[in-house]
Amino acid sequence: MLDQALSFIVARGRPISIAAWCLCALLAGCGQPNRANQPLPPLDVMAFQPLFQENCAGCHGTTGQMGPAPPLNDALFLRVVTDQELNEVIKNGRPGTLMPGFGFNPGLTLSAKQVDVLVKGIRAEWPSSPREFSGTLPPYATDAKGDATRGAQAFALACARCHGAKGEGTDTAGAINDGAFLKLVSDQFLRRIVITGRPDLGMPDYRQQITEPEARALTDQEITDIVALLASWRTSDSFAQEPAPGATKP
Amino acid sequence: MKRGWVLQTLNWFEHRLGMRDQVLEALNHPVPKNTGWWYVFGSASVTLLTIQLLTGVLLTMVYVPTPDLAYQTIEYISYEQFLGWYVRAVHSWSGNAMMVMVLLHMTQVYLWGAYKYPRELTWVVGCFLFVFLLGFLFSGQVLRFDSSSYWGIGVGAAMAGRVPLIGPALVHLLLGGETIGGETLSRFYALHVFVLPALLLGFLGIHLLLVMRQGVSAPPFPAKRTDKETYDKVYERELAEGEPFAPDPLAKDVIFSALIVLVVFVLAAVYGVGLNELPADPTIINANPRPDWPFLPLFALLSLCPPWMETFVILVLPVAGFAFLVSIPFVSGTGERSPWRRPVGTIGVVVGVVLMIVLGWLGAVAPWSPAMEAWSGTPIPERMVESLSPTQLVGAVVFQNKNCRNCHALDGQGGTRGPDLTTVATRLTKEELVRQVVQGGGNMPAYGKQLSSANVEALVAFLATLHPEGIAPAKPSVEPITGPLAGGDNAKDDKTEVARDQ
Amino acid sequence: MNSEHPTPPCCNSSGSGGHGGSGDAEVTLASITRRGILLVSGALFALAGLILAIPLVGYIIGPIMRRKEDQWVDIGALEDFPENQTLLVDFEDPDRRPWDGMTGKTSCYVRRLQGENFQVFSINCAHLGCPVHWFPESGLFMCPCHGGVYYEDGGRASGPPPRGLYEYAFRLEKGRMLVRAGHLPTLQDTMKETS
Repeated sequence: MLDQALSFIVARGRPISIAAWCLCALLAGCGQPNRANQPLPPLDVMAFQPLFQENCAGCHGTTGQMGPAPPLNDALFLRVVTDQELNEVIKNGRPGTLMPGFGFNPGLTLSAKQVDVLVKGIRAEWPSSPREFSGTLPPYATDAKGDATRGAQAFALACARCHGAKGEGTDTAGAINDGAFLKLVSDQFLRRIVITGRPDLGMPDYRQQITEPEARALTDQEITDIVALLASWRTSDSFAQEPAPGATKP
Repeated sequence: MKRGWVLQTLNWFEHRLGMRDQVLEALNHPVPKNTGWWYVFGSASVTLLTIQLLTGVLLTMVYVPTPDLAYQTIEYISYEQFLGWYVRAVHSWSGNAMMVMVLLHMTQVYLWGAYKYPRELTWVVGCFLFVFLLGFLFSGQVLRFDSSSYWGIGVGAAMAGRVPLIGPALVHLLLGGETIGGETLSRFYALHVFVLPALLLGFLGIHLLLVMRQGVSAPPFPAKRTDKETYDKVYERELAEGEPFAPDPLAKDVIFSALIVLVVFVLAAVYGVGLNELPADPTIINANPRPDWPFLPLFALLSLCPPWMETFVILVLPVAGFAFLVSIPFVSGTGERSPWRRPVGTIGVVVGVVLMIVLGWLGAVAPWSPAMEAWSGTPIPERMVESLSPTQLVGAVVFQNKNCRNCHALDGQGGTRGPDLTTVATRLTKEELVRQVVQGGGNMPAYGKQLSSANVEALVAFLATLHPEGIAPAKPSVEPITGPLAGGDNAKDDKTEVARDQ
Repeated sequence: MNSEHPTPPCCNSSGSGGHGGSGDAEVTLASITRRGILLVSGALFALAGLILAIPLVGYIIGPIMRRKEDQWVDIGALEDFPENQTLLVDFEDPDRRPWDGMTGKTSCYVRRLQGENFQVFSINCAHLGCPVHWFPESGLFMCPCHGGVYYEDGGRASGPPPRGLYEYAFRLEKGRMLVRAGHLPTLQDTMKETS
């Protein structure tokens, strides 16, 4: 046994080859740690992808699409929203909704610089070509008050085909007259979804919602009215009174 | 002529040192026959210890044990100092290999019954060596002074703080002050670099002296009992039939040690040791502290044991474990030595090893720890999102937003503290889901205060979609509960589900 | 032993050396047996050792003997803490060394309910001291080590912690928020929870 072991070790040139392999391993230095692999303190992470994947992907999807929350990787959305609005929403969230603020308590959340990185990164990652959307686009946000009665007409024209005459849902699309749903989303959310649709889930944007024979884009006024109609469906305890634990002050 | 010169020099030293006889005796002392390759772990541990001493001294030439600089100096060693990374990697790999060798050595000695008369003291001293080694590994982890070190000290302090009466005093003794800081690190540095090496070398000296004095035990044979009256004579005969330590048994020790050393060197060179954690910084709370592997079983035990026995596990178990090890040769110091004739002991070893491996694995995976980033960083699987209604989509956002994902996985992604909810709708009806969410239960906090009724409604609407295609969701076994939360607009949601199932 | 008296003569006589035992001296060398010499010199050595050891042990247990009292630390202006929110705040330890670096700081969670109604929590889990993480959306603190969970008021929600989060005493002074801090809270040595 011992003889075998010894003769195995000292067999022709073995010591040299063992030593050579060890030396190679050392010289190759493959074990040398690389500073790039060292983890960064949370507030020093300044690359878009890690920030997005860790903070946004959970709801908005790994590629900014196909998440339960509205997609950020959406050309039309990125055309109508401003950097300032993005910045504000990432930093303070949308009080009263499920969008939390990510930048109000550095150390626990992100720093102002990191929020900037996210905004710039969203723009750079999913550029939105101006040529794709010609003409005047409906503004992302509006102060105008809609009219629910007119909204009902626009709804019948644009939404009822998939969501049902009263928003009760069809085989094509789910209900949107649901109390829980309406209580948990803001008017701004509704406006945004009417404008951009959910292309990743098959919902068309405001230009394709009205089909033949009329086949035209919704107007800004119609969008505002549809939102007013949906808002009127919220039950008595309106969404503004929903407690939102931990949400930032408006 | 050349030979004569060498011999002359040796003689010159021999004339002054007079050690030839001892060396020759050590080399020629007889050892029993058929020791095989099982007796090599102890000497390999000693070999690795010399590497530790050597590389340890080299590291102290750069390392600075102060909180503001410790981590920086390790960065310097790893990235800038010539071959510093290699020395650090060898120190780390060799230290871990030493732990492995010592564990193998202890197991072998126990199974062979080699701790029995007259080698009880050798075993007891060895138990102390084992404790010192654990001390080395813990203090060594502290010296890295990364976030696991920092919070590891905190865990140590919290444990010490549970000792009745003198707990708070122990905490201050451990920390060297009121909080974890400069003096804490220096205390562990002094321990790792001065106190423990001195203790270890001192006890190792006694250990080796005892090994030389009592001789190496012969391999056990069933029915060959150890008896205090007769053993000395038996052993004398075994030695008479044995062989001198040099060359064969010595060669086995040397060959095995050399192999282990080579393995350590190659592992260090190929895999190295990175800086895998953030520096110790109490203001960064995104820490995920984990002990080094030898302490993972204890880490796991501290999470798994019920609260009433926790203080026992922290304070009594380590002491009792040590006392148990020390008492072994006094409880079974004679009799059968073969592991086949000591079924309780042998099964005990197997059970113990399996238990340690399972606990260690659990400690490494830590299924009880919430996945802190899952709520914002682990997406809802796209196949689930595809078919959701607006309410269910919002419910999925509630699921993420309210941090459910930190404890509950979907498609295996997410926390593992609670059950995976990929098919929860086949197990719970909507009413049961509402009750679980609002009231909690098991290890789940009650979310009643944190969620509005709309939140619960949307969340349950989403959860109710979580069942495989073609398998119907759970049906209530009794009349459904009607109420403000449970009733609601189920009809519409059910309709979309039915549409999908068809 | 009674080492006071015989010590000087013994040393002197052994110092003068040899076997010259003169019968005149009260304590002759011959009267001091070998055992006596060993006892006396051993006792002397032990005494010297004891005298040396007392301050050395004192040095080691200094942190126990000289406890530093917690002090009031300013952690920010009142308006830094919005109502109905819990924020992570860090401050410098009152008991810090010049070389403490980042570890000279401590973090705490400040929860402002309404007006001057505050709660200030230690970040150290009451189980084994790991840093708990605050999740405002669900109003829970979660611990990364053994999975302890606390409600937003610091009460224990689930997992192994034996109690709720440790709370700092706080007071408001001229629009500033002060907490009494200075030591690592453990089960038997919590923060002094009264203002």
